[in-house]
Amino acid sequence: MTTMIKIPENKTKKKLHAQQIKDRIISIFIGIFALVWVFPIVWTLWSSLRPYAEIRAGGVFSPPQELGIFNYTEAMERMDLPLYFANTALITLPAVFLILLFGSLIAFVVTRYSFRFNVAMLLLFTAGNMLPPQLVFIPVFKMYLALGDLFGDRRLLYDNHWGVVLIHVAFQMGFATFVLSSYMKTIPKEISESAMVDGASVFTHYFRVMLPLLRPPLASLGVLMITWIYNDFFWALVLMSNDSKRPITSALGRLQGEFVTDYNLLAAGAMIAALPTLIVFFVLRKQFVGGLTLGSTKG
Amino acid sequence: MLNKISNHEVDRRLVLKGAAAGGLGIAGATMLAGCASGTGPVSFGARTVDESPTIQLKGLVDAYTAKTGNEVTYNATESNAFQNNLSQYLQGTPDDCFQWMAGFRMQFFAAQDLLVDISDVWDEIGDQYNESYKIASTGLDGKQYFVPQSWYPWGLHFRKSMMAEIGMNPEDIYNWDDFMGALAELKGQGLIGLAAADKGGWEAMGTFDILNARINGYQFHVDLLGGREKWTDDRVREVFRHWEMLLPYQNTNVLDLEWDGAMQLLLQRQAGFFMNGSWFGGNFLEQSQEDYDDLMIVPFPEINPDHGRDTVDAPIDGFCVAKNGSNNDGGKDLIKFAGDMEGVQAMLDTGIPMTSANNGQDRSTYDAFQNAQLAVMNEAKYITQFLDRDTRPDFAGPVVGPAFQSWFKDPSSTDSILESLQSQWDALPPL
Amino acid sequence: MAVETAAPSTKQIARRRRFFSKQDKVTLGFFIGIPTFLHLSLVWIPAIATIALSFTYWTGIRLEDIVWAGTANYENIFFNTPIFWEAIRVNTIWLLWFFFIATPLGVLLAYQIDREIRGHKIYQSAYFLPVVLSLAVTGIIWNFLLRPDGFVNGLLGLPISEAVSFFGDDRYNIWVIMIMASWRHIGYIMLLYLAGLKAVDSALREAATIDGATEWQSFRKVVFPAMRPVNIIVIVITIIESLRAFDMVYIIYGSSGGLPILGVLVFNNIAGEGASMKGAAYAVILFLLSIVPIITYLQQQFSEDNK
Repeated sequence: MTTMIKIPENKTKKKLHAQQIKDRIISIFIGIFALVWVFPIVWTLWSSLRPYAEIRAGGVFSPPQELGIFNYTEAMERMDLPLYFANTALITLPAVFLILLFGSLIAFVVTRYSFRFNVAMLLLFTAGNMLPPQLVFIPVFKMYLALGDLFGDRRLLYDNHWGVVLIHVAFQMGFATFVLSSYMKTIPKEISESAMVDGASVFTHYFRVMLPLLRPPLASLGVLMITWIYNDFFWALVLMSNDSKRPITSALGRLQGEFVTDYNLLAAGAMIAALPTLIVFFVLRKQFVGGLTLGSTKG
Repeated sequence: MLNKISNHEVDRRLVLKGAAAGGLGIAGATMLAGCASGTGPVSFGARTVDESPTIQLKGLVDAYTAKTGNEVTYNATESNAFQNNLSQYLQGTPDDCFQWMAGFRMQFFAAQDLLVDISDVWDEIGDQYNESYKIASTGLDGKQYFVPQSWYPWGLHFRKSMMAEIGMNPEDIYNWDDFMGALAELKGQGLIGLAAADKGGWEAMGTFDILNARINGYQFHVDLLGGREKWTDDRVREVFRHWEMLLPYQNTNVLDLEWDGAMQLLLQRQAGFFMNGSWFGGNFLEQSQEDYDDLMIVPFPEINPDHGRDTVDAPIDGFCVAKNGSNNDGGKDLIKFAGDMEGVQAMLDTGIPMTSANNGQDRSTYDAFQNAQLAVMNEAKYITQFLDRDTRPDFAGPVVGPAFQSWFKDPSSTDSILESLQSQWDALPPL
Repeated sequence: MAVETAAPSTKQIARRRRFFSKQDKVTLGFFIGIPTFLHLSLVWIPAIATIALSFTYWTGIRLEDIVWAGTANYENIFFNTPIFWEAIRVNTIWLLWFFFIATPLGVLLAYQIDREIRGHKIYQSAYFLPVVLSLAVTGIIWNFLLRPDGFVNGLLGLPISEAVSFFGDDRYNIWVIMIMASWRHIGYIMLLYLAGLKAVDSALREAATIDGATEWQSFRKVVFPAMRPVNIIVIVITIIESLRAFDMVYIIYGSSGGLPILGVLVFNNIAGEGASMKGAAYAVILFLLSIVPIITYLQQQFSEDNK
């Protein structure tokens, strides 16, 4: 409810003006900090264009005699990029797909139907999302091996991208469930009710009625999840024994060892590894905030 | 010669446990009678991604393939990641043959039934090695699980040209006073006396090992690491007292540098001495031939005349065969090749300097640096494997490593650190 | 299919519609069953297993070697392991820093950007950029700045031997890690809060401004309280992220004890050659510390859902 209070015009204008000046200052302040914020990345980029020998000889501020992408070409040669990026895709894409699928399924059931276990389910999943990964690592490892032995192939889940996919799905489902259920609560109940009146099966209810409405949060979640899983370091490290199966981010640890005497080369490698997420970020900027609904305060 | 590598003095309890584990290597022993090639594709796990060792190892596996026709899959992992993951690696899907280290680190995994008994391989190639290497390759149950590849000593490295410029002759440094004098001289010249690193938590163990062995002797050192002597003993305090004397001559950022950072100090002529294992010769060679030729080593000085310079840390690197690998026979075949002079020669042919454990390597082909390493080894009567290979793994990494790092942060806290080390040792679960 | 043929209100139909067809039941079974099964078997059951294992001695290799140890691992940690208390100290500082500095900055940033001050589009991207980088890349980038032969030491004109030991020196290293962690955390919080701000009824905010309140007053008295659910989420995430931090420290220090934190202690003791169930005990301690925010959050969810 708004109460209209009559305020003398001069005072309002002055207040507005003062606020505008404040805003200017705030904007400049934030702007300067934004520059500081991106500086580390810029510096790394800069260093990746210089040969390390120059740095060793003259220090980091030595005037650049050679500038070029030679570090990048060398890194690409030595890093076997297609392999690592393929590994990353093999893990990230199925994982994101399954997370979105399962998250939406749970959110769907829990928000569209009133079962007694609804709240419990929600709690289960969101709490599970918050557990520290280190808590589950040894039993999961043993489980994967035991399952593998059961089916005669030790690599059924261990040292297998599916094993990493499944653990990501198990952990991140909670966040997806939470966001999607928050969003679904804002979808009017009438839509579901009329579908049910029309005799829609649960299956149809989900796929034909709800799913098309979920585009914004799914896009947003998808983008976030791709970023998170792409950037995961821990699971691929411990659930895979073969370095050539690991995704690119775990492989960076290897690069640290390999390029130990040429740090600028490592910088180029890091930039290359960061490239896909940077591209996703710049292209799909809007999606990141766009469809995220965290709790609704409407109505 | 290298004839007195003493076995890690093991508790009776440990040996019995190992024997009781049973079933060790019986399955493996039935084969090997004759079948050499035709064992199918084999996988090899390398514990390094560095340039020079990789060239060497690839030379080895290529030669094996050429000889037997068996495909070898070469899997390399960065060494820290490999070590941190070894337990999982061996339980899960390890390579058939992989690079590992001698010492309790190897015996521990053999006792856990994760390594294949290769005593029969030793029956065939054992005559190419000194008895001491066989001892170092033996598990707690008396069977062999390891084939040595190369060794290197820990000692004081320096650059000949730098020493010549300053007018110092490191070969003349025999005891602690000489050494202190040399360090002071270096400091006077504006240089770091002794480059040191400990960011990885293990580098400083080399310094501890040598100080302890010099001051208190080989037997005490081995007993301390085996839990038969106490860390709170005054003799250990004496070690830290000497260590503290070295601190003013070291770089101040010890905890910020890993071994390669300290190596850079020597490489860039900012430090006079570098107490480390000689493996980094390869890194110097990668820089340039001149840098490599400039490199030299002398043993760490004597401190206690009772013990002289009779002990040296000389870790042995080599190979093992993993039980859970998919091709145990192939693994044994490959390890036999690697231990045999044929494999050793393949590695030598790559031109990367290597001090092989195999007697077949013609020592007359050693360059000056390798000869100096050999001299360091020969002077020693006793050889140890390095702290984190000679003691329990759940003590070395998680407890001793951080303890030494805290000591660097506050050298006056020696007493509390030693007490803590002892009580943490006492609290370890029985093996 | 059971269909109500009488024509009561739509609400009544929905409520009474508990008669699902067999096909529906199967569908629901799959819809709920598969995700729940996955979640239980890979998250909850292993968690319980680890908690159980923390009361044993075990190297993690052979099942028959498991030996009951009672509270020995915990006693070992609490009374015998000085590095544990150092880690607690570091994690506490991490928590306080995040809580009082990093998160509030993220919130304020979100608010300003939401108000669409000049340049807000660029600022949003700039501050969010570190969030899309993997922590491994972040570690490498900052290592670049702070190495003995890196940017800052170069600026100070120090050779390697005398370089400031940013990662090794206890006076600096924790603050360096805090800055690195904030670099990422602030952008993350900013994003979450921006998402939440969008959901706030815009009429509410207009009303506040018309009432003659300054922006700051409007934020404090109107917007912030209205964001209660998001506030809680942000607080919970802040606490959890500071307690279970691992990646960034691991990439710089490996598993050595240079800057002890609980996450690395768990890893150090549960993986690798020196594995023991002391690591499981560390994990349980980490879990228990995180459980307070988790329960708080769940309570708030529960009460909201019961409205």
